Amino acid sequence: MPERAEAEAEALFALVRARYGERLTEAQLAELRGIVASTVERARALRAIRLKNSDEPAQPFAPFRADA
Amino acid sequence: MTDEAVFAPVRALAEGVRTRRLSPVALAELFLERLERLGPRYNAVVTLTRDRALAEARRAEREIGAGRYRGPLHGIPYGAKDLLATAGGIPTTWGAAPLRRQTFDFDATVIRKLEEAGAVLVAKLAMVELAGGMGYRQPHASFTGPGITPWNPGAWSGGSSSGSGSAVAAGLVPFAIGSETWGSILSPAANCGITGLRPTYGRVSRHGAMALSWTLDKLGPLGLTADDCGLVLAAIAGRDPADPTAADRPVRYDDRPVSGRRFRFGVLAGVTEGCEPGVVASFERSLDVLRAIGTVEDVRLPDLPYEIITRTILLVEAASAFEDLVEDGTIAELTAPEDRYGAYARDTILAKDYVKALRLRSVMAREIDGVLARLDALVAPARATVATPLDREFRSAVGGAAADPMGAIGNGAGLPALAVPNGFSDAGLPTSLQFMGRAWEENTIVAAARAYQSLTDWHLRHPVVD
Repeated sequence: MPERAEAEAEALFALVRARYGERLTEAQLAELRGIVASTVERARALRAIRLKNSDEPAQPFAPFRADA
Repeated sequence: MTDEAVFAPVRALAEGVRTRRLSPVALAELFLERLERLGPRYNAVVTLTRDRALAEARRAEREIGAGRYRGPLHGIPYGAKDLLATAGGIPTTWGAAPLRRQTFDFDATVIRKLEEAGAVLVAKLAMVELAGGMGYRQPHASFTGPGITPWNPGAWSGGSSSGSGSAVAAGLVPFAIGSETWGSILSPAANCGITGLRPTYGRVSRHGAMALSWTLDKLGPLGLTADDCGLVLAAIAGRDPADPTAADRPVRYDDRPVSGRRFRFGVLAGVTEGCEPGVVASFERSLDVLRAIGTVEDVRLPDLPYEIITRTILLVEAASAFEDLVEDGTIAELTAPEDRYGAYARDTILAKDYVKALRLRSVMAREIDGVLARLDALVAPARATVATPLDREFRSAVGGAAADPMGAIGNGAGLPALAVPNGFSDAGLPTSLQFMGRAWEENTIVAAARAYQSLTDWHLRHPVVD
């Protein structure tokens, strides 16, 4: 993993530790560090693909009216 | 009645009920007895719904006796995965120890539709806790114990619709309802040697079903034959004001004979990479059968991170769906050790990356539709392995430990797929073949699977359970 990605993974892992660290054992935290690194790897794969401005999310939003 | 009704397809049972040769009450009592006696062997059952079953069966018997036959599910017993809400004080546990006393005051739309069709709910069936939403890696991930395939007492039933698979395979129910977000219908169908249908996203209302991933969750039938799955789908599909994603598209099972019909099948390049030798051997034999009813061609797709796209969507939506259980620490009471903390890492998936996955999902959906527009189905092994031992971690695509492009694309794009048994490994465990179709083409893949089953007898083989 490139240095910048490692730094990102460490920063995100710090978030997990800050939020939930007191509930977790050192072994669990170590496993979560690896999961966060995998998350960053996946994100890098997604970010590497260029899309056009017109490529919209698959999820549609529909305005709501109770009487519609 | 036992010999005739156990392991009989729904269509055969229906004919017996319609002609009053089979009694709905006797059928309910038969399957309740089998669920009670044999269900624990496979950890297949959470709750027997005896009172409700007998009331529904007596009503069916009265109506049929009075000449008011509702259709092929009238008087037929079934089981429902325990993530479907049921009224009347019947627990709906989601397979999770901390929720074992959870109840709802309404029936899920699927349960209601089956009741309207005259079907008889005999059991709530076991499942992986939270439908696997916390990232389980091994079969001991339910408070009812690991699901066990009736083909081997030491092997996993698959999941997360574990009891739906094992109960059908062991002749404890004629059919069952399961759910799939990624693999949860096809996996137990494969491991248990039965037929399972994952409908198009939006074909079946999700109202009253536990949400794991709002844009990936589907509900569908598991049964002994593709024909049975078609019959059940016709009863549960359709528009529902309580679920805005339930599509208002025509739903009518096309059960015309398939004899003489020709199909166009495609096989994704490299789709058997990483599969066990027994799985590959069964698949290659299946291709020979499929060439007798159509053409088989190789297919290539653009190089996109299909599994990452679908996994990112699933993990983020699951993190939100179970936010309360994660934040308040309830997950620490779950059965699988890995389910007690793995979800904490999901807070680190950035919103922009989730939206990127949703945008790439559109690209994926267009690409696969372009391929399927000129085919009737893509075919592939339903699972890369046969049922794994109960004491071993399995290779999961959701967790990133195994490749599953068909599952990633099919679920990510919301496409229907149907798994049928297609052989056995050297160890005597079932292998499975999947047919994946274009959106809303359930009739096409059911027809293809019916044609396949008309030429093979794998679906007629059953484990020795009595």
